[in-house]
Amino acid sequence: MERHRHLGSELAFGLTLLALLAAIALLARVLAPYDPHAFSGQPLERPSLAHILGTNDAGQDILSELVYGARISLAVALGAAVGTVVLGTLVGGVAGTVGGWLDGLLMRLVDVLMTLPRLPLLILLAAFLGSGLAQTTVVIALLFWPATARVIRAQVQSLRQRGYVRMARSFGGGPGYVLRRHILPQIGPLIVSGLVTAAGRAVAMEAGLAFLGLGDPTAKSWGLMMRFALNLPGLLLTDRWLWWLLPPGLCVTLLILALTFTGIGLENHLHPRLRRL
Amino acid sequence: MRRLTGYLLTLWIVLTVNFLLPRLLPGDPLAALLDPQNSDYVFDAEVRAALEAYYGLDRPLPQQYARYLTGAVTGDMGRSIRLNRPVGKLVRTHLPWTLLLTGTALILASLFGLLGGTEAAWRRGTWSDRVLVIAGVVAGNAPVYFVGMMLLILFGARLGWLPLAGGRTPFARYDTSLTAVADVGKHLLLPALTLTLALVGGKFLLVRNNVVSVLGEDFMLVARAKGLPTGRLKWAHALRNALLPFVAHLAAHASMAITGAVFIETLFNYPGMGRLIFEAVGARDYPVIQGVFLVVSTVVLTANLLADVLNAHLDPRLREA
Repeated sequence: MERHRHLGSELAFGLTLLALLAAIALLARVLAPYDPHAFSGQPLERPSLAHILGTNDAGQDILSELVYGARISLAVALGAAVGTVVLGTLVGGVAGTVGGWLDGLLMRLVDVLMTLPRLPLLILLAAFLGSGLAQTTVVIALLFWPATARVIRAQVQSLRQRGYVRMARSFGGGPGYVLRRHILPQIGPLIVSGLVTAAGRAVAMEAGLAFLGLGDPTAKSWGLMMRFALNLPGLLLTDRWLWWLLPPGLCVTLLILALTFTGIGLENHLHPRLRRL
Repeated sequence: MRRLTGYLLTLWIVLTVNFLLPRLLPGDPLAALLDPQNSDYVFDAEVRAALEAYYGLDRPLPQQYARYLTGAVTGDMGRSIRLNRPVGKLVRTHLPWTLLLTGTALILASLFGLLGGTEAAWRRGTWSDRVLVIAGVVAGNAPVYFVGMMLLILFGARLGWLPLAGGRTPFARYDTSLTAVADVGKHLLLPALTLTLALVGGKFLLVRNNVVSVLGEDFMLVARAKGLPTGRLKWAHALRNALLPFVAHLAAHASMAITGAVFIETLFNYPGMGRLIFEAVGARDYPVIQGVFLVVSTVVLTANLLADVLNAHLDPRLREA
């Protein structure tokens, strides 16, 4: 149908872009003309053949920083997304299966975490936990699991009411058996789309924290590049922002959009009834 | 009533997390402020005395907790290390700017989201709907700090139409209150536009999808069969019935608005709570970080409660829940 062709295009767009950025991250060593930490030129050089995007205020090649930055964004995205989904699935699964007071308690916790303003809480945690890449990843996962937990719990609860699951239970299937055999296969698609959504949020948050000066100061991420660029007095009044500020900003935005569109495409593909577009 | 209890419970959790976090974490960041051997040591004796009195780290934990809770209730949130001023005073000068920014953006985004969402749903499947949906997804997901940077470069630096930073012209003396409002408005425009863009995408998609599902209802068919004009069908019937989920999501949007405001205020040097917490982070000004977190969380929780009350008012089915 016409509609299906259209829906596929989001997934295709997202996955293509994602594959491209992942390839850049994997091939950083080949693609980057210089070591991003090496002082390969004069400070604040304009773009030239030697430095296609010029150099930063320390004389480091901006293009190489950009290429290596893909690794940081993708690594944090992957780590935080896996953490988010593992935590969310665990909590949602337990709450949905066990029910009772434990369910009430866990869902109360989900409500609390979902109502609180995320960024101030993130800043508070980052300020006290320190700002390594590992801390950033863990903190993002700790704050973003509730959305996954809520979706998984709802699905588990509705599955438990289905005829075949109740039948399996009444024939003596234990909770572990039912979980493995009937519940897990059904929540697989939710886990996949949850992973992609969480990855998108993680990219935005990692870059945002670095932009605010709460990221790992030794890991040259796209967010940190933007921060250093904006720290240069009068940056916006010259055209220097064109090759220093715009590229990392565009990269973050493209990665987030790639993940967003992949998520929407997957959701439509796996769950035609939940179609968002 | 049950809802209010829920919010009070959440507020208590916020207060307690805010209290325990720095005290339970390894490395003891608060003690470091008072330890002459540590690099974070506060040299100003007056500030150090205020910190000692506020945190009371040498007293037992329950006593510290009681001191902290009474402080939070009476508005005493310690003293800023960086500025040597009470955190409560800092909050009082910064909070109005954040409320102005987020309030303006939330109202504008709601307005555009409702109008655009209904229009797009009405034309579902056409190319204009598709363009709007993709624009909504992009606007709602693009990082707000990047969108803000681009607007800042275009309207502030390139075209020079709007001021680059701040909440008003420094040291300005206004002849009339009108010029004061104009100055504040001019400074508000870009930050508010950025935040509106960030919020409108989600609202638009929400309204559009709700109106699309309302359009399939029987009462829409009846209304159409009665021969009602299109305008009434669209705004009085379709939009009105899609309003409930919109109001239900207002609370979540308030929390998103605060997140956006932190980035935007940092970028535009806007004198609100976001800027305050950003500057505090750089200086390891823990009392300010904790105070901002506490106040902002309370504001968001209050917004949640209000949205809940409004929702129950609009939907009788929710009143008993």
